[in-house]
Amino acid sequence: MTDDIMPGAVHDRKGVVLDPRTKLLLLLMISVFSWSSIGGRAGWIILPVITLIPVILLYFSRKWKGAVISTLLFLAVNLISYTDLNKLSGGVYYIILMIVGIFGRLMPCIIMAYYLVYTTTVSEFVAAMEKMHVSEKITIPFSVIFRFFPTVREQMHFIKDAMDMRGIKIGGKHSSKYIEYRLIPLMICSVKTGDELSAASLTRCLGGSVRRTNICKIGFGFPDYVIILILIASVAASVIVRLV
Amino acid sequence: MIEFKNVSFSYSNDGSANGGGCLKNIDLKINKGEAVVLSGESGCGKTTITRLINGLIPYYYEGTLTGDIIINGKNSRDMSLYDISKNTGSVFQNPRSQFFNVDTDSELAFSCENQGMPVEEIKRRIKETVELFGIQRLMHRSIFDMSGGEKQIIACAAVSVADPDIIVLDEPSSNLDMRATAELKKCIRIWKSQKKTIIIAEHRLRYLSDIADRVFYIREGRIENSFTFDELREKSFEELKSLGLRPVTDDQFKKAGNAVSESQNGLTLKNFAFAYKRSAPVLKIEECSIPFGQITAVIGNNGAGKSTFSRCLCGLVKKCKGIAEYNDNTLKRRDRLKKSFMVMQDVNNQLFTESVLDEVMISMEEEKNDKAIEILRSLDLEELSDRHPASLSGGQKQRCAIACAIASNKEIMIFDEPTSGLDLRHMYEVADNIRFVNSDDRCIIVVSHDLELILSCCTYVVRLEKGEVIEHYPLDSNGIGRLVDFFEEPFRSSSKDVS
Amino acid sequence: MSNENNKLNGKDLINIGVFAAIYMVIMVAISMLGFIPIFMILLDVLVPLICAIPFMLFLTRAKKFGMIWIFTILIGLLQLLTGMGPYAIITSFVFGLLADLIAKSGKYQSRSKAILATTVFSGWVWGDFIPMFVNKNYFDSLSNYADGYAESLKKLCPPWMLIVLFFAAFIAGFIGALIGQKVLKKHFEKAGIA
Repeated sequence: MTDDIMPGAVHDRKGVVLDPRTKLLLLLMISVFSWSSIGGRAGWIILPVITLIPVILLYFSRKWKGAVISTLLFLAVNLISYTDLNKLSGGVYYIILMIVGIFGRLMPCIIMAYYLVYTTTVSEFVAAMEKMHVSEKITIPFSVIFRFFPTVREQMHFIKDAMDMRGIKIGGKHSSKYIEYRLIPLMICSVKTGDELSAASLTRCLGGSVRRTNICKIGFGFPDYVIILILIASVAASVIVRLV
Repeated sequence: MIEFKNVSFSYSNDGSANGGGCLKNIDLKINKGEAVVLSGESGCGKTTITRLINGLIPYYYEGTLTGDIIINGKNSRDMSLYDISKNTGSVFQNPRSQFFNVDTDSELAFSCENQGMPVEEIKRRIKETVELFGIQRLMHRSIFDMSGGEKQIIACAAVSVADPDIIVLDEPSSNLDMRATAELKKCIRIWKSQKKTIIIAEHRLRYLSDIADRVFYIREGRIENSFTFDELREKSFEELKSLGLRPVTDDQFKKAGNAVSESQNGLTLKNFAFAYKRSAPVLKIEECSIPFGQITAVIGNNGAGKSTFSRCLCGLVKKCKGIAEYNDNTLKRRDRLKKSFMVMQDVNNQLFTESVLDEVMISMEEEKNDKAIEILRSLDLEELSDRHPASLSGGQKQRCAIACAIASNKEIMIFDEPTSGLDLRHMYEVADNIRFVNSDDRCIIVVSHDLELILSCCTYVVRLEKGEVIEHYPLDSNGIGRLVDFFEEPFRSSSKDVS
Repeated sequence: MSNENNKLNGKDLINIGVFAAIYMVIMVAISMLGFIPIFMILLDVLVPLICAIPFMLFLTRAKKFGMIWIFTILIGLLQLLTGMGPYAIITSFVFGLLADLIAKSGKYQSRSKAILATTVFSGWVWGDFIPMFVNKNYFDSLSNYADGYAESLKKLCPPWMLIVLFFAAFIAGFIGALIGQKVLKKHFEKAGIA
């Protein structure tokens, strides 16, 4: 029922473990390389290479399903991008265009984001942010989002059920108010639950002036250094290509 | 030691001592190591007292406070919420909303982390608590795939890791079944043996009868009386009822069977099965019959498939291919969706519009004002017809949902845990509502683990276990014995564990 | 009590998280439409339009400087985590700050300032669309065969579209804010949560 957005919620130490900071850096670099021209003329080779990192890491983390799907996506997008399909016309051509132009660039980020989210626990993430000296003003709401997202989702399913029982649906009676009927109870209930959540957290000493500790241990290891080296090499490569 | 000196509180800022939950001139002394229960009807102020002790009043909920609260020799006004929380642990009513973290390990560590304790010390404490509570199986888990009972145990363990002197529980059992309540009782017993001061606001008294020292009975913001459990055990059912307290011993239950009218009609469910992807089936009912014109209770422990059962019956689960038959009609999933209505545990999720009247109107085939008003009148809601549904009390919301079900001519009505967290008077109100909708052409199903509710309105029992119907019987005097046995069982086994 | 202290406390920070989660759930639900490519562009209008309602409700709780800004930055960060690229971080940083300043100028009480703040805030969504338009030389880096793609894509997403999307987001945000204002009166105030 609960579609978690941080499904790696539970400590799952299998395979290669990276420091969340490395994953974040990788995500940022992949985003920048796929959404900007920073790669320059070398971009066409750098992007697939660094996109392969999370694809391979997914195998090492034993996330088989995600690994296979992302491998297939990776191959499909790259094959289509390098094939001459200009002779096609009409709808099919535009679909392919979308795949190359938009999805092709979204894909690396999505794979990386998937890897990050499915292999990092919220507490690891918060520990990483604390090590990067990110203020509590960001880390507290950040963890609340991950905690609360599934709760709101669940509530949304309940409301959908209730609407089905009352026969309210798009195209049926009262469809003009469909969105209103879905949003209002969702917000009213979520706000109430949120208030309870915040009361409960405050009784657990949240918000004191003492510096927090964190039982979650993170740190850089050999795999982290390898990935950081690859990233440095990629940036260097793109700079050199530009200069030449 | 906790001492209240002439404390008055009101949630409104103008100081008027009106509205639910306000307190008037409370004087109270709770000694160290004592376990006290605060009891009384909803809105009597018992939750307010717990909030004054754990500091949520005045630091989170605002209002007008006079008088002094002295906790371990310090006036609570001179402390911050953080200071108070260091020495006071809290467990709340709703297991869904009291966790800050998504995994159990982080939750146990949370309070200590916030206090800046060294990591090694926190780990040592967690290890100790996990062993003491015997909750190894709950570690390293996501809170999203835990049952309400398991979450409540984690909440208790989290309090223990922080090791406060005072522990406050606000209606901790109201969303729990019997088995989970027995587990909760074990936690409280551990604290009692550690000489913690324990304050429990609760109206289910039975599970506390052999742990708590005193019961304060609160009415309209005043402490009206205080009892020991021995005194309560002496009282008759009628005396307790007049106080609005729930029974303390078995003998105090109303043991007369409900009048069972033999009805020939029945709703026959065939082939009700459902399983999540690649896991064991949650529900596998080959055939089951539910009588018309009676109120059927569906019971079973958490995870027995009760909620899946009711969702399938309403036609909300697409993958459940089962059919229901009655009077030679065959109801497929879509037909059942049209014929059935579930009053959800959280009624807030099913009220959409801006007024009670609109709510009833959109449920009708043809929107007729007169008929809607008539339905509202029959449910005592006519005066509230312009109110926003979200501003109603719990019982009124429930009646509003029932009005919608009546307006849309539904024949199958399901009440999903309609009384979780209700006091005696409100529980009877719900029972009245359920009896009100019962008629020969309706099939009423109550999914509940509230023994008193079942005894006061149901006439037939279906018990589920592991997705199967393992027994069903009419609730005559013989049936009542079986029912009470089922509800007593977890407590017997837990007392065996201890001795 | 809260007026004396203008520093953000635990309750405020949790409120930000709670509302950001509500905002994200609704946004994700709307974004499901985006899997149909043509609708993708429409999200620029739909997201500000519908999500203005929870945002207006959030404004009734945001009474201190920083809450709106942090809220918006978090939404921007989550765009990165869902693979939408880094530009939304920049737009959310800018428009979040502006929205917070506007609300502050109305002492976090003024209704009209709240509508204006919501309108300005809505500009963050534009960041999700920037990458589709800038950086045409992405295709230069592909093999020679891909020239045709670049040309067609330029036709499909002409640069002026980006400017249209920029203003469309604000207009949608403004309309959404007006609707939000109505919903506040119609539901949330009556329900006692605003």
